[in-house]
Order: sequence, then structure tokens, then C-alpha cells
Amino acid sequence: MIAVTIRDLSKSFGDHLVLDHIDLRIEPGELFFLLGPSGCGKTTLLRHLAGFYYPDHGQILFDDQDVSRVPPYKRGTGMMFQSYALWPHLTVAGNVAFGLEERKTPRAEIRKRVDEALASVGMTSFADRKINQLSGGQQQRVALARALVIRPRCLLLDEPLSNLDAKMRLQMRGEIRRVCKEFGLTAIYVTHDQKEALSIADRLAILDKGHLVQVGTPRDIYRHPRTKVVADFIGESNFIEGRALEPIENSEHWRVSTALGEFTGLKPDANWDLHVGEPVVLSIRPESWKLREAARTDGVATVNVLRGRIGRSIYLGEVAEYDFQPRVEGGDGDAAALKIYELNPRFMEVTDNTEITARAAPDDVVVLHP
Amino acid sequence: MSRVLAILVYVLTAAFFAVFFIYPVAQTLRGAFVTADHGISFIYVKEVFRNPVYVEGLQNAFLLAVCSTLATFVLSLPLAWLADRFEFAGKKLLTALLLAPMVLPPFVGAIGIRKIFGQEGAFNALLQSVGILGPDHAIDWLGQNRFWGVVALNALHLYPILYLNVAAALANVDPAMEEAAENLGCTGFRKFFKITLPLITPGVFAGGTIVFIWAFTELGVPLIFDYTRVTPVQIFYGIKDIGSNPFPYALVAVMLVATVLLYAISRLTFGRKAGDLTMMAKATSRGGARTIRPAAGVACAAAFAVVIFLALLPHFGVVLVAFSRDWYGTILPHSFTLDNFRAGLGHSLTVPSIGNSLKYALVSTVFDAGLGISIAYVVVRTRFPGRQLLDALAMLPLAVPGLVLAFGYIAMTQEGRPLAFLNPTRNPVPLLIIAYAVRRLPYMVRSAAAGYQQTSVTLEEAAQNLGCPPWRTLYRVTLPLIAANLLAGGLLTFSFAMLEVSDSLLLAQKQEYYPITKAIYELFQLLGSGRGIASALGVWAMAFLGTTILGASLLLGKRMGALFRA
Repeated sequence: MIAVTIRDLSKSFGDHLVLDHIDLRIEPGELFFLLGPSGCGKTTLLRHLAGFYYPDHGQILFDDQDVSRVPPYKRGTGMMFQSYALWPHLTVAGNVAFGLEERKTPRAEIRKRVDEALASVGMTSFADRKINQLSGGQQQRVALARALVIRPRCLLLDEPLSNLDAKMRLQMRGEIRRVCKEFGLTAIYVTHDQKEALSIADRLAILDKGHLVQVGTPRDIYRHPRTKVVADFIGESNFIEGRALEPIENSEHWRVSTALGEFTGLKPDANWDLHVGEPVVLSIRPESWKLREAARTDGVATVNVLRGRIGRSIYLGEVAEYDFQPRVEGGDGDAAALKIYELNPRFMEVTDNTEITARAAPDDVVVLHP
Repeated sequence: MSRVLAILVYVLTAAFFAVFFIYPVAQTLRGAFVTADHGISFIYVKEVFRNPVYVEGLQNAFLLAVCSTLATFVLSLPLAWLADRFEFAGKKLLTALLLAPMVLPPFVGAIGIRKIFGQEGAFNALLQSVGILGPDHAIDWLGQNRFWGVVALNALHLYPILYLNVAAALANVDPAMEEAAENLGCTGFRKFFKITLPLITPGVFAGGTIVFIWAFTELGVPLIFDYTRVTPVQIFYGIKDIGSNPFPYALVAVMLVATVLLYAISRLTFGRKAGDLTMMAKATSRGGARTIRPAAGVACAAAFAVVIFLALLPHFGVVLVAFSRDWYGTILPHSFTLDNFRAGLGHSLTVPSIGNSLKYALVSTVFDAGLGISIAYVVVRTRFPGRQLLDALAMLPLAVPGLVLAFGYIAMTQEGRPLAFLNPTRNPVPLLIIAYAVRRLPYMVRSAAAGYQQTSVTLEEAAQNLGCPPWRTLYRVTLPLIAANLLAGGLLTFSFAMLEVSDSLLLAQKQEYYPITKAIYELFQLLGSGRGIASALGVWAMAFLGTTILGASLLLGKRMGALFRA
């Protein structure tokens, strides 16, 4: 179990800056995710950890050892490749044994450890199969066993589930977390699938265009994104531009004026010295809104309430997606529609003409950098 | 690590090519353009174009190449299309047999053809026996039509190269492209000419260029047909007074410029296009061949059978000559015998020549394997700045005919030159092996490169990740994965080295060092039993090379076409 530290790491390919001054520390035994849209540099960063690239600038530390320029075959990482990269000329057992053979492990021990590794991923009965006789899910398990059997200093996973169907993915992601925790491994996992990251990560980092934009726990990142990019990439969100009016005393909340009226929202970035009158962006998740008929007058909320009508709606069974058209007081009524999700949908039946109110709790309204 | 390897391979390859490829070619050009008083002049080249004999030779060589290439197109395009589209009885066997002509140098086949179509040959005897010809009206088919005889033999020997290229190109065409055309209302011949043909153009021209250059510089066939007014033969006879006569140099220079120009044009025109097209032509679904009505199937099979029959006619002729006591004025020989084989075993030329050829071919193949694996590695797997140049350099021998190269070797080892110690009149073995190696290197580089390209880099990265250093990765992962490619490339390299004609005829100047091809040529010129023994030797060569080529095609299947690409 090691800590992985990335210090001020930069990398360019030609003129293209792929990684821009990355600073990151991954704790021992942590299952850490690198997440971002394609081309954000997450795979490049992982390949730096494996040693397939050397940084132009900065360092990579495994505990206190600087491995920045250690070649891949001396790093002792175990990597799972997106394509699995199993060798078709070797059997399942041959693939798993490879790393141990390279380490000059005694024959008897190789047998024992290969058996154990195959057992831990439930592939014991496939030991003598050829790789092309395995299904995608089985290949995935062999690739995991091959990476684990060498007792790697850390486990590197490059979109290991992207070639599986949805059901297998669901099953395997639980499996990967179980194995990592069982072996007490520091694991760095690259994916663009936010569900994968949110469901099994201890912590995750969001990369965008070579920058590290936010690091945190899944809940922290989802609930309190620091930038619009993060809010947009993880889940969906409605963005409303506005201006800071005033801070609310003894809290992290601010009042913000927008074209849709006044909102109260949470400013999660404590380091951000926001001034009155500064432009900001509000991020409100579609599922944060609560809908009710405007005609109902009981228990009326006073903050973060919009009046409007439901335009287009899509019924998805457990949930419905609405385009909510807010009515702007004194305006010309052309404000952009907001996306609202309703679990256990009721408002599907509401006609176009019924006025609806939509309300969001102040803690669900996030104040972001514009 | 890989950078050091890259530089090492680069330097070694560049040095090797400089000494044994560029230097001899430069020596030839020097002989052609530098006069006795060390001035540079076009006088010799001009003289070549003024001398009616040389001009006729060049015209004939060019016409031979054009006609031979067109004939290979006519033979191979329809067959490749039929094989790609339709499933019919015996297809596997027939497509395999289609490659059979490659097992014999065409000039040996020419011996058989002369027996069949000669004035006292089997064809006349056949015509006479069915009454088409009167008993005294034997036609000298080849005497009157030597040109077309050479064209026919060239075409029948070279069509497999084009066939393999076209078949590979057709297999790569995404069926969805044609389906899209059909969906938009374009079918039949229109579809073939508007969609299919443009998509396979790079493959067609890549194969066509090699066929053209081969036919343009073919030496053995015209020699056997006594068709002397053609440039390669004129060069061959000019070797004798190479020391004093500048015209062989000038002739070689003209041929060289012509072939390199053609090759360069083809690469520039279709090389880039090939990239564009293969990008698009990545198949999303497998089209697969259609089963057709039995009658149509028989017609397809018959088309194949006819071509195979024609292509194997020279081989039959050679086999019959080899086993016949005498064959004169009859359809089949009067009586069969093993005398030629027995005589061959005792003859001072045959047994040593087989041993020599095996030795030369083996050494040159091993050499090519090492060089090919390294060059392909640098070209495909590294980002080394000069790698494209290295790639181009390794493919260049395709553009330089064996005749030109061998001529250059002789030129550069003349007395008084730095490499005179390699002069083939003393001991041609080093030069023969080097010539074979240089000439066949492209096949080895291509097959190794194809292997690397088909093998994902992540397979190598996975090995390194598990603690395997790069050179061990090559040996434990990469080479086993591309073994089939290497073996096939090696087999082809070996077979073709055994079959080398022009450089063997030119360079092997001492009887004890003759390879098979030179021995066959010399035996052919002997009176008496010479032709019989030559044919017997040819039969040995056929049996041997047939086995190796069959092995290569079994290993590679359709991918074999990739080896014959310019």
C-alpha cells in the first residue's frame, strides 16, 4: 500500500499541452478515480503513472521514491488496459503467470499464486483456455487477475469496463471495488462514466483540457461543484447567470439576482472572495426542483420559487423529464426553459395552461464562478 | 532504450544500403554519364537513343511490359472478383492452385513451352492428329510469334501477384459501401465501376507496378526464346565487354531511370490515396461470398480451371521433358524414363547447384529476417524522425530490377575499385547472397511490418507493465504474435532467392558456384541430354518451391497479397 503523489506535472505532445501543472495526492489504499470528457488528459496521466510517458516537468512519487523516470518494467504497477491486452498466444494461466515469471518467482509458487489469483476472480476452471475462447467479461477478469497476481504497488485501471455490456458493467464495478479493498490496494481508475465513478470511488478528480478542476468525494463533487465544467460534466444542471447581491450572515449562502428573479444559494468554494455586484452562475440540478400547482396556497415557500408552465415532457417510467417554461415578471417571457426531473411522476397529466410553481432549497442552489 | 535500437538499426541499414545498393547503382550511372576524360556527358545515353538496335530493344522491352501487364489484368481481375463474391465447388483448391505458376522461374517454363509449341512440338502434333493441319504443314508458332510467346509466359507467371493484390483489396472493401450504392439505386456494372473499382485502385496499381517492372526487365524468358532484340538481353550480352564498352552502362541507366520513375509515380499517386481509402474501407460487417446456382458455379470453376491449365502448361511441358526419353513430333513423349534425373545426379552442374542455391537462399533469408524485423520495428513502433526514409529505402529494391543491381555489382567490383576483392569472377558467393538479400528484403520488411501493425501496442505495454524489459518483450510477446507473418515472409524470401534469375545469371561466373537457375540455363544450352537434365532440375525446383509457397499461403491466407505491394 503506497501513497501516490503527483507534483506539478506537465506534459506536451508537440505544441499541444496535454497536462498542465497537475498536483495530486492519492492516499494509501484509496480507490481514486480520474474522470473527465475524452481528450481531457486522464489516460495520459495514468500512463505517466505506469511509466509509458515521462513528464516534461514535475515529479511522480510512490511513497517517498521519485519514479518519474523509472521505466515501466521497473515500477511494479499492475495495469488493466481498456482492450485488456491479453496475449492470444498464451493460455489464461500463461497470461496470469507472465509477470511472476519475469520476477523469477519459483515455479511452485507461481502455480500457487496463479491458482489463487484465478480463484479470486472466479476463473479457476478456465486456466487452460485460450484467450479467444473467452467472453468479454471473462477476459476482463483474467486481465484483473494478471494485474493483481504480481502484488502491484498500485493498481492502474484504464477504462476497464468500457467494452462490457451494461449489466456486466454493473456487476464488475462492484467486483473491482471488492478486490481492491480485499487486497488493500492503492488503485487509480480512469473512466468517462460518471456512474462508475460516483458509485465506487473513495475520491475522484475531474480533469478538463489538461487541468485538474476539482478533487473530492463523489457526494462533494456532485453536490458542490466548484466550476460550471464540473457541474456540467457530472450529472446535469440548469445554469442561470446573475449577480451577487449580498452574503447571508453566519452562513455560506448568498443572495443572487437573476433575470428569473432573486435566488438564495450556497457558495461551496470557501477560498473564493466574492464581492457584491460580481457576476456569478447558479447551478441547480433538475432533480432539486419541487413542483406543485400554483393554485395551492398551503405552506407557500418564499425563496427560490419560479412560476411557469410545463412545455415538453418525456415519460421514462420511474422518472419524468420536463421542460419548465418560467414566467418572467415584467419581462417578455422569453427565458430559456429549465430541465426538471420528477421521481414517481404526477405532473404528466397537467395541461399546458395550468400554472405551476417550481421551488429549490437554498442548499441545492450552487453559486459558481461565471 | 528503443531510441538506441532505432539509431543502431538506422545506421546499420543505411550503411548496408549505401554500400550494396546506392554505390553499385551510382557506379552504373557513373559509367553511363562520365566519359573517359572525367567529364559529365549525355553522349552515351544519346548514342543509345541514336542506335537503332538499342532503340528497338527499348521499344520491345516497353511493349513487352505493357502487353504483359495488360494480360495479367485480363487474367486476374475477373478471377479475383469471382473469388471474392461467389462460393462454388472446389474454390479453395482452385484459388490455391492459381498461385502455382510462382513455383517455377518463367524461363524454365519456357523450355517446356518450346517443346509444346515448337515446330515439332506437341501442339502441332495435336492439330495434325485431329486433321486441322496437314502432316507436312507444321507451324513454327514461336518462331513467328516470339514477342507474344514472351508476353504469354510473363503474364502466366506474374498474374498471381496482381491476383493476390486485387483479392486483398476486394476483401478490405466494406460491404456496406456497396450496399449503400445499391440502396441509392446503383447496381451491377455501374456499381462496380463507380464504387468497387475506385476503392480497390490502390491495390490494383500497387500490384500492376510490380508486374510492369518485372516484365520490363525480364531476362530469362527472352533469352530462352532467342528473342534478343530486347534491352535486358542486350545488357546481358554486354557484360562480356563491360570494361571497355560504355553502352551497357547507358542501357542500364535508361532502364533504371524508367523503373524508378514509374515506381515513384505509382507511389506518389496511389500511396497517399491508399491511406485515405483504407481509412474509410474499414469493414463494419462481413459481406461473405454468395452461393450461386450450380451451373454458374461450374462456370466460375471452369474460368479458374482454364487459367490454371494455361498457367501450368509450361510446367507440364517441363515435367514431360524431364521424364521423356525423346519427345519429337508427338502429342505426348514416346516413352518415359528417369534417365534425366539419373544423369542429373551424376552431372557436375546439378547436385552442387542445388546445394549452392540452398546455401545462398538460406543465408540471405536469415539475413533478411534479422534486418526486416529490426527495420519494421523502427518504422512501425518508434517515432524516430528518419523512419519514413528507412521505410522507403527498404522498399526501393522493388523499383530496381535484379539485372540493374547485378550489373552495378559487377561495375563496382572491377579491378582497381575499392570493392574489387568481391569480384564475382573470383568468388561470386558473397555478392550472390547480398544480391538475393537486397532484392528480397522488401517482402520481409512488409510481412514483419504487417505483423507489427496488426499487433496492438498495448500487448507490449502490458508485458512491460508486468516487469518485462523492451527487448525481452520483443522476444516473449511480439515475435510469437507475429510468427505467422515472419514465417510466411521468410518462406517467400527463401523461395524467391532460390528462383532469382537475372542476378544469378549475371553474377555466378564460376561453375563451382552456380545456383540452380544458372545451372538450368547452362544445361539448357548444352546439346544432347542438356535440356532433359535442365528440365529434371526444374522439376526438383518446382516440387521444392511448391511446398514452401503452399505453406506460406496456408499461414497467411488473404493477407499474402500485402507482401506483393509496391
